[in-house]
Amino acid sequence: MRKIADRLLGAAVGALCLLSVLILAFMVFFIVRESLPAIREVGLRDLLLGDQWRPIIYRDAPSYGLRNMILSTLYVSVLAVALALVLGVGCALFLACAATERQRALVMPCIDLLAGIPSVVYGFVGLYIVIRAIEACGRAAGESILAGGIVLSVMILPYMISACCETMVHVRERYGAASRAMGVSRWYMAGALVLPASRRGILISMALATGRAMGETMAVMMVLGNAIAAPSLLGKGETISALIALEMGMAEVGSIHFSALYAAGLVLMVLLFAINIGFELVKRKLSREGSL
Amino acid sequence: MKGKTGLIRIWAVGSCLVVLGTILFLFAYIFIKGAGAISWTFLTDVPRGLILGTEGGILPAIVGSLYYTLIACAFAAFLGISAAVYQVFYCKSDRLRSAIALIMQCMAGVPSIVLGLFGYSLLVLTLGWGKCILAGGVTQGIMILPFIQVRAEKALREADAGLVRASYALGVSRSHTIRRIVLPQCLPQLVSAVILGACYAMGAAAPLIFTGAVILSKVPRSLLKPTMALPYHLYMLLTQGTSSENAYGTAFVLMMVVLVTNTAATWFAWRRKK
Repeated sequence: MRKIADRLLGAAVGALCLLSVLILAFMVFFIVRESLPAIREVGLRDLLLGDQWRPIIYRDAPSYGLRNMILSTLYVSVLAVALALVLGVGCALFLACAATERQRALVMPCIDLLAGIPSVVYGFVGLYIVIRAIEACGRAAGESILAGGIVLSVMILPYMISACCETMVHVRERYGAASRAMGVSRWYMAGALVLPASRRGILISMALATGRAMGETMAVMMVLGNAIAAPSLLGKGETISALIALEMGMAEVGSIHFSALYAAGLVLMVLLFAINIGFELVKRKLSREGSL
Repeated sequence: MKGKTGLIRIWAVGSCLVVLGTILFLFAYIFIKGAGAISWTFLTDVPRGLILGTEGGILPAIVGSLYYTLIACAFAAFLGISAAVYQVFYCKSDRLRSAIALIMQCMAGVPSIVLGLFGYSLLVLTLGWGKCILAGGVTQGIMILPFIQVRAEKALREADAGLVRASYALGVSRSHTIRRIVLPQCLPQLVSAVILGACYAMGAAAPLIFTGAVILSKVPRSLLKPTMALPYHLYMLLTQGTSSENAYGTAFVLMMVVLVTNTAATWFAWRRKK
């Protein structure tokens, strides 16, 4: 009897686990299936490299080029990660090297709060504060890649700080006592030992943060201006995710436009996947060189 | 060398202050600006006004968000915790275990807007549910599934191994051990993971745009009807430029949810440590 109950539970959780895992396969299957008509019709090359996105027929034939959206997505994400790197690594360094265990236990939940704030609220504050600040500096329109980068950088800070801090605490715990015993000052140790030894941890945090930044939709959509143009720091742009969110409502189900939006989603997924693999490769190389 | 050390110190202390200042600012800004908009009517009335949303309240959005979140949590907690139990107690091969972890990691990396596309294609079109609370909730559930699974797996793995082994040694079956020893012991952490997942789902608008959220609706009566959601309502208020006061009020409610859920989750996590 007991054996049967045991088997039953095992089979049940096994099946549920299989189902959870299969969701990813379903996801890939459905996204690819819906995007195939557009890829076949437009061609992969024109889809990725074309700089015209004209889904609605108006004088010329429609055209589906994602180049500007792909570039905008990359531009905003790189900017955000760069900004967050400066603040996040500094903050993690302070928390790992100067704060006590208790202070860390108090501050970390506060930083995690940032991860809980809905992205619409970030967009809201970006719209009312960041954009107005940029306009106060003399720009006619504050909606820009810069505004998106600033808003996104705050959004990815918690991921960056917690991943960096974890590694740095490890490093400090391993070498801190020896370093102190030799009379090395705390901040010299932070700069000369903890920072370089945490390279790998910092890289992992960057991968995490890039993923978050590239997939973000609502906040970026609200501050970027949503103009399909080649991105520049102070110009408007439109990310892939914003394109999908804005145009799905207009696209007729089964049309090439509809399918092209799924293809945009597929491009976003593949892009994220490629970036994660890239980071993984660098991480492996660094771990062979023996940093934490 | 002295100068460089000083610079690092200033950088570290400075960036920590900037980060904490930003957090404080975000909450203070919304709470101070939004407090004026909050009233009993705002929380319990439907949207009204000549342009709907400029007056009246956000009750349908609050109730709608609760529905979406409850469905998401039920879906993700059930699947996520079961998968974690399998991974920790039943899965015999290390390879399979790390493959499951890798897949969960990949799933966590899928952008929420792509999840929305997936939900639309599978739930709304292929299964024919149409845009509804159920489709939106399940899509959000898929979003928080890896979030909950990873935390549940960690909690189960950290369960007292001595107790588990003692239980096996006494001839207690595996399923009984899991139900009576492991799960009660891990309960605070599991609850904390689900609460954080709920907070995450409550704030996400992107998966709902195509699967359930609408600009305006009555208080929902059926799971097969679309309904409003708080984050999407806030987005609409802002982009249509209808009412910035009601926008502050809606943001206030959302930030309150963040604060309450995070405090509760931290409290549950602390209880386990004690």
